[in-house]
Amino acid sequence: MTGPTPPYAELHCHSAFSFLDGVSLPEELARRAGELGYGALALTDHNSVSGSMELAQIAADHGVRAIHGAEVDLLAPGTDGQGTRHITLLVRDVQGWSNLCRIITLAHAHTRTGSIRREQGEPSVDLQTVIDHAEGLVCLTGCAGRSAVGGGVRDEPIVRRLLDAFGPEDLYVELQRPYARHDRARNRALGALARGLGVRCIASGDVHAHSPARAELQDAFVALRHHTTLDASEPLRRGNHSHVMSSPQAMASRFADHPEAVRETVLLAERLTFDLRTDLGYRYPGAEDESASRRLAELCRGRLEERYGSHEEAPGRLEQELRVIDRLGLAGFFLLHHDMLELAREVALEIRGPDSVRALLAPGRGRGSSVSSLVCYLTGLSHIDPIANRLALGRFLHEDLHGLPDIDLDFPRDIRERLIPRVHERYGRDRAALVAAFPTFRARGAIRELGKVLGLPAGEIERMARSSDGHGRGSGHEVLADEAQRPGGAAGTSSDRWRWLAYLVEQAYGLPRHLSQHPGGMIVATRPLIDCCPVVPAAMEGRQMVQWDKDSCADAGFLKMDLLGLGMLSAVERCVEEIARVHGRRIDLSRIPYDDPLTFRAIRAADTVGVFQIESRAQMQSLLRTRPMNLEDLTIQVAIVRPGPIQGGAINPYIERRRRLREDPSYEIPYEHPVLEEVLRETLGTIIFQDQVMQVAEAFAGFSPGEADGLRRAMSRKRSHELLAGQRERFIEGALRHSEADERTAERVWSMVEGFAGFGFPKAHSAAFGLLAYQSTWLRVHYGAEFLCSLLNEQPMGFYAPDSLVHEAHARGVAIRKIDVNASQVQCTVQEGGVRLGLGYVKDIPAEEAHALVAERAMGGPFHSLGDLAGRVGMGRRTLEQLAWSGACDGLLAPLAGGDRRSALWQLGLAAPAIATGRPAGRAGSPSSPHEDSCRPVHESTQLALGLELPPTPSLRRLGRWQRLIADYSTSGVTIGDHALAILRGRLTVPMLVTSAQLARLPSGGEVAVAGLVIARQRPGTANGTMFLLFEDEFGTINLIVPQKVYERHRRLARTEPLLLARGRLERTQEPTAPARLHADHLAGAPAFAAPPEPPEEIRPVINVLVRELAPLERFLPGGLEEAETAARVRRLPASGPGAQDADGAEVGSSMRAVAPPIQSFASGRRR
Amino acid sequence: MRWGESFPAEVNGEAISSLRESWLVEDRWWTAEPLRRRYWELVGERGRNVVVFHDLTAAGRGRAGGWFVQGS
Repeated sequence: MTGPTPPYAELHCHSAFSFLDGVSLPEELARRAGELGYGALALTDHNSVSGSMELAQIAADHGVRAIHGAEVDLLAPGTDGQGTRHITLLVRDVQGWSNLCRIITLAHAHTRTGSIRREQGEPSVDLQTVIDHAEGLVCLTGCAGRSAVGGGVRDEPIVRRLLDAFGPEDLYVELQRPYARHDRARNRALGALARGLGVRCIASGDVHAHSPARAELQDAFVALRHHTTLDASEPLRRGNHSHVMSSPQAMASRFADHPEAVRETVLLAERLTFDLRTDLGYRYPGAEDESASRRLAELCRGRLEERYGSHEEAPGRLEQELRVIDRLGLAGFFLLHHDMLELAREVALEIRGPDSVRALLAPGRGRGSSVSSLVCYLTGLSHIDPIANRLALGRFLHEDLHGLPDIDLDFPRDIRERLIPRVHERYGRDRAALVAAFPTFRARGAIRELGKVLGLPAGEIERMARSSDGHGRGSGHEVLADEAQRPGGAAGTSSDRWRWLAYLVEQAYGLPRHLSQHPGGMIVATRPLIDCCPVVPAAMEGRQMVQWDKDSCADAGFLKMDLLGLGMLSAVERCVEEIARVHGRRIDLSRIPYDDPLTFRAIRAADTVGVFQIESRAQMQSLLRTRPMNLEDLTIQVAIVRPGPIQGGAINPYIERRRRLREDPSYEIPYEHPVLEEVLRETLGTIIFQDQVMQVAEAFAGFSPGEADGLRRAMSRKRSHELLAGQRERFIEGALRHSEADERTAERVWSMVEGFAGFGFPKAHSAAFGLLAYQSTWLRVHYGAEFLCSLLNEQPMGFYAPDSLVHEAHARGVAIRKIDVNASQVQCTVQEGGVRLGLGYVKDIPAEEAHALVAERAMGGPFHSLGDLAGRVGMGRRTLEQLAWSGACDGLLAPLAGGDRRSALWQLGLAAPAIATGRPAGRAGSPSSPHEDSCRPVHESTQLALGLELPPTPSLRRLGRWQRLIADYSTSGVTIGDHALAILRGRLTVPMLVTSAQLARLPSGGEVAVAGLVIARQRPGTANGTMFLLFEDEFGTINLIVPQKVYERHRRLARTEPLLLARGRLERTQEPTAPARLHADHLAGAPAFAAPPEPPEEIRPVINVLVRELAPLERFLPGGLEEAETAARVRRLPASGPGAQDADGAEVGSSMRAVAPPIQSFASGRRR
Repeated sequence: MRWGESFPAEVNGEAISSLRESWLVEDRWWTAEPLRRRYWELVGERGRNVVVFHDLTAAGRGRAGGWFVQGS
């Protein structure tokens, strides 16, 4: 800063990391402080330093010096631990930072010790803790508060004890002027207290917002934090908006009665010199181990021979890597990861057991750029041979590297769950912790929470929330506009509150909502972590986390190890176990053939539902056009449907060039510049991998490896656009000089690079994921039933809901067997070649009861009747009813008596115990069900039902097909009976209505109408407002493209309606039928696995319906009613006629809306 | 109402001798009748306390711009 010193420094400021008591990001506060002419700004969030590193990194850019601190809750003596007072602690030096971290750690230590760990208690510390950690800290006596909210310390005995601990130099009586009624009197009294004790007063602003535009949101957050409404929260709110940051001059005027307190702010700020960017003193284990390089080299050289024999290239590559590692001082880093993997191996052995077929599998596998490292391959951290796959090291490791490279490891879920607490144990609970994450406000959640705060009707809020994109900024206003157009819509009245909701949703967008844990990032340190960053308990038992997210941890130089849980890894492990159980075969996935014709044929036909990475709607359409021939193609395929390649304009040129190559093997790939040929050859002149950005920067613009990595990092950080702008000039200039490119070419190549500011995979990561994609497809092709079974047991995962997985598998011949109390296990199993759905799929059945049923059946034999079942298993009536309604008891009914689920319910009314057991939500078979612990068996005093002979059921109308379908969805989320469209199609009165099967035979360009159950909705940020829908009918799936204008006209339908009718134009493109194997032979670059000769195969066309009009399907069923009547009839079970005629149009829509299976529905949003 | 240097100097013809408190109320912004008032608690020259407020709501709303004595 130059110029005169501002008259005031702000030493009490809350950011949004005070979680619902602050409405600005640290960057926004720093920017505003710079604009207002502040020289220093202290961040003092409630019991948190979550925003400190962000402020430290950004403040200097705005000419502001960052000061660090926190407002800590102090247990007030004499209130039995219930009441708290606030004190403001500011960091003076390194010891002070360490003490602040320890105080905050202790403040949170008790917050997850209640009976329900997920409910976080309020953090607080006692006075003695603060006194014991006073060194290096400055204490201000706290905020003005309001009568209902508490405030700072004003009791002389407590202030006197603080004075003894901090001394007169470092204790200040804090004065605030929030323009509340008793400000002047309070400040006079505080001034008298300070004079009496001989300490100084200091002014502070208690800032909660950087701009007046956010002031109202602060009020709303206060109400939200207290679970109340704005109307009812007046005593809790501040009463005005004086908490918005004002200029130093305005603040000096605000304290005109206390000029000395204003002066003290500047004087104190000058004394607080701790710099979080440089003073942290973190070291990771092994960082100072002088023998680490030698030990790592010995480990790798020992395994080189085993893996490569007398390979020509491998020894040189290894020595090169070891040299770089040694020069960067990272040998300890690699040994630490190796140690972690060995720990995982121990855990895996405990979980799998020594004789399990799973024991053939590695405990985990690498992902990300580390897969390109030979050292990682040899130390077991990667399973991909980097030499065979021609993986370049530069993205992961280079001599200009600043900071630490990333090594990400994927584990099956069960291994990861046990590994994380073991890491805590191995390195010490004070030296290991998870990384934090901050879920941010998105449109849908914000509409729900802020709508409630505004006192708006719950039903209308929910309708609006479901209509929103869920993620994108702007959703609030869009949804409001949409609703205003709808007759009787929520915002039809255009009331002030609805307008405020749209405004508040916009303002809240992107602000952190609460502290959460990163999926698997772990930090380890040589000294107690709590000296570097507060460590707080996580919601899950046995876990703890630092208060910083991955960006802040990276800025701090923390070594972060990503131990990630990957559902597909768990699924393939389950699958090989099931194969071993059913067929007695031990499958080692590392030794399956990687050129299996049937597997690649399935991939080319996009027959990939359920497999890893290449199962989505977009991936499947892409597969039909790229037609992968080998693992190398699959590596590209995994990376291609990502925002980076999409925004960089890579997809269409890549597909087109592959097509041209198939048609004409002599086709020459056009490169923007000759120097790009080498680095872009394998992707046919396009940038698909993240590391290609670096390679292009080096080859074309003359960047050094370090500069190229800087460019890559600029693209991956959240502030990427600003950082990228700075790189552009350097790139263009470098291209002109280094490659003698002309300016237009340089600009075109930069636009390809810049497009990658969106997310893209490094090639090494794609190779790792591509391999798993292949392995999962191989399992699906050769062991379809076992693979489906494992997917169903590992839910939730993947792109499709269980219902869709089941329908698709059934369509290709996998037998699906219904849930049956006499045949089902708790989880799904393969029985007689088909998949038997498990009892765990019946919703709301406690896990213990499902296990008890299976155990009783194993011991006492099959159940003979409903009375026998009720008498033997000790289930409550509601559980038995749920089983009966799901159809699981159908086999216990006398078939000749015409009984069905209604009869079963009637009989259970006589047979079942009347006392219901605890009925937590969730599925019994779900291994990670959060409710399992709370499942309760039948109460000890409950009288079990006797195995009575039940009287015959009176004549009850049988369930119709539609009612059975609704019963299936409502009880298990899966139906294996008639598809909804199979039931309804005969009654639909729609001209030109065609099925998914007929679409393939119709000419492109024609008008069609299609009907379906929506199984996926996507509106990615890269699609310029277009929505993609996936319909399912009784024959298969239909891809629909909903252009932005059509989407906006039908937003509510498109976002919420499960059964839709669409009209539009059929678009059908067919790849040429040139022999596919020509391609593999003639693609530039030798394929890793050559495709064998194969017979001609059918080439499936890419089919889309470009939607012009959407409508709810119920409108085309005879008997359709107006929506008002629909709502009133949602829960009525109709007195049915036979078959489909038991459901009129209105009932179809409303009943389906209530039970439709969950589907993929997402759009890209801003990521932090 | 006559305005002094930093607070009202006269209320209903009575000169103001001192300021006791001043505060700001900004509330009910989410309703059709938002509240935005600057309050002064003053001591008149005859020793009587009086609370006055200035309505700061946007022009055209309710009593926007007016001065009022609380409780009278």
